[in-house]
Amino acid sequence: MTATPNPMRDHWYPVGLLSRLSGQGRQTRLFDQPITVASGADGHAIVRDEAGRALPVIERFGHVWTSTGQPARDLFTIPEADQPGRHLVDVGVVRVRCSPLRAVENFLDIAHFPFVHTDVLGAEPHTEVERYKVEIREDSDEVWATKVRFFQPQAAHSAQGGIVTDYMYRVPAPTCSVLYKTCPPRPGEWDVITLFVQPLTETLCDVWPWMALFDDTSTTTDLIHFQQMIFLQDRSILENQIPALLPLDPGMEAPTRADMTSVAYRRWLKRHGFTYGAQLVAA
Amino acid sequence: MPRSPENTWTPVALSRDIPAGTAAPGHSGGRDLAIWRSASGRIAAWDDRCPHRGMRLSHGFVRGEALSCIYHGWSYDQAGRCRRIPAHPELAPPDTICVPGFAAAESAGVIWVADGPQASGPVPGFPGLTALRVLEFRAGPDAVAAHLGQAGGRVLRLALAGQDCLLLVQSRSGGACSGVYLLVPEGIGAPQRKALSRAAETLRRACEAATATGVST
Repeated sequence: MTATPNPMRDHWYPVGLLSRLSGQGRQTRLFDQPITVASGADGHAIVRDEAGRALPVIERFGHVWTSTGQPARDLFTIPEADQPGRHLVDVGVVRVRCSPLRAVENFLDIAHFPFVHTDVLGAEPHTEVERYKVEIREDSDEVWATKVRFFQPQAAHSAQGGIVTDYMYRVPAPTCSVLYKTCPPRPGEWDVITLFVQPLTETLCDVWPWMALFDDTSTTTDLIHFQQMIFLQDRSILENQIPALLPLDPGMEAPTRADMTSVAYRRWLKRHGFTYGAQLVAA
Repeated sequence: MPRSPENTWTPVALSRDIPAGTAAPGHSGGRDLAIWRSASGRIAAWDDRCPHRGMRLSHGFVRGEALSCIYHGWSYDQAGRCRRIPAHPELAPPDTICVPGFAAAESAGVIWVADGPQASGPVPGFPGLTALRVLEFRAGPDAVAAHLGQAGGRVLRLALAGQDCLLLVQSRSGGACSGVYLLVPEGIGAPQRKALSRAAETLRRACEAATATGVST
């Protein structure tokens, strides 16, 4: 693994919750390499590799972020998450036996809602995915999908009955996605739900969802349970896709117009050589 | 040389384990299969992979005469052609979107799958016999045959609990294990079936013990 160049390493990755740091530290992995995430004497996070070398650290969005490469730029920001009055939710971790890239791609997909998150994020006969807009923004080098609309029976824990939900998706880093969606209690604002994925190996990842919501009624426990339910439903899909590695070349799979975000994400991955967890050759 | 039916057709499940309107995973010749039965009772065995995003079709759901993928609900007819893409209800899916299938048939209460879309011979028949159960032996097919004093082969006749029975032996786990289908006389009563089931377990334990100590291999 270390023999092949891996430009993905030069980015930031979530490796733990800031709220769960401990002095003795937690053993985990990043790109197959063992690392330790601990709190230092000042309470801030310290991440070390196997040789004891301190790795760079950023504390943001409730998580510890690190890199085993040389990040050329700062971790992305989510300005909306800084708005006052938001309920910030550390959802925790879901370990999934799948490619980190497949986990992100699934997060970008809405067409599966009626079948995987039945009667929650979608329901038959409301299965149609209307045309939406997808672009790779050259200035920020991010993948964006906007004007995404979908009927949802229970879009959020705070939602009462079915609504047509508006979505925007953003991929600011190889294994991170930020979702902006209709905020039921506060029309005009966007709820922020993120998927931060820690690549352990090419076919194993820890998924750290995080949320910044306007929701004055639900408890943190309710919100965590709601998201855990959603991600566990996704896991039953992610662990049963063949091949395990995300195919970046067409030929193996049959995308449609509803898959435009996935197509753009794969193109963006390929353009940057972000191939850890991907396969380039049709098997 | 034409292959014998035993080599062309592989038992993959008991008929009663896949009732109408259900799908389940199966394996044949190192290949993962989605085995499913339509509402009207037709059995089919396909590549266990939806061409859209590679999801296992054995996790899918059956409606009427079609199998749908659990991921995005893409629906496939008996011939494996995609007939409906729920994200685009108005779209007629192109014929190029289809799932490769394998000939499937039933005989003696067993679902058999051929090694291609067409079978090269008729499905094996076992008049007067019906499948009682499947057992997993921690012993390879040759070891099972040797334990019964037979010179190999995948169809083994034997007397079990006083009945003339037959074992269909499938190689599993790269030959380290066997899937053993026990075929027993049709029409016998519950006490006899229970006795046969127990006798088969006794046989399994003896065969595994012999294999573990190397006596029969």
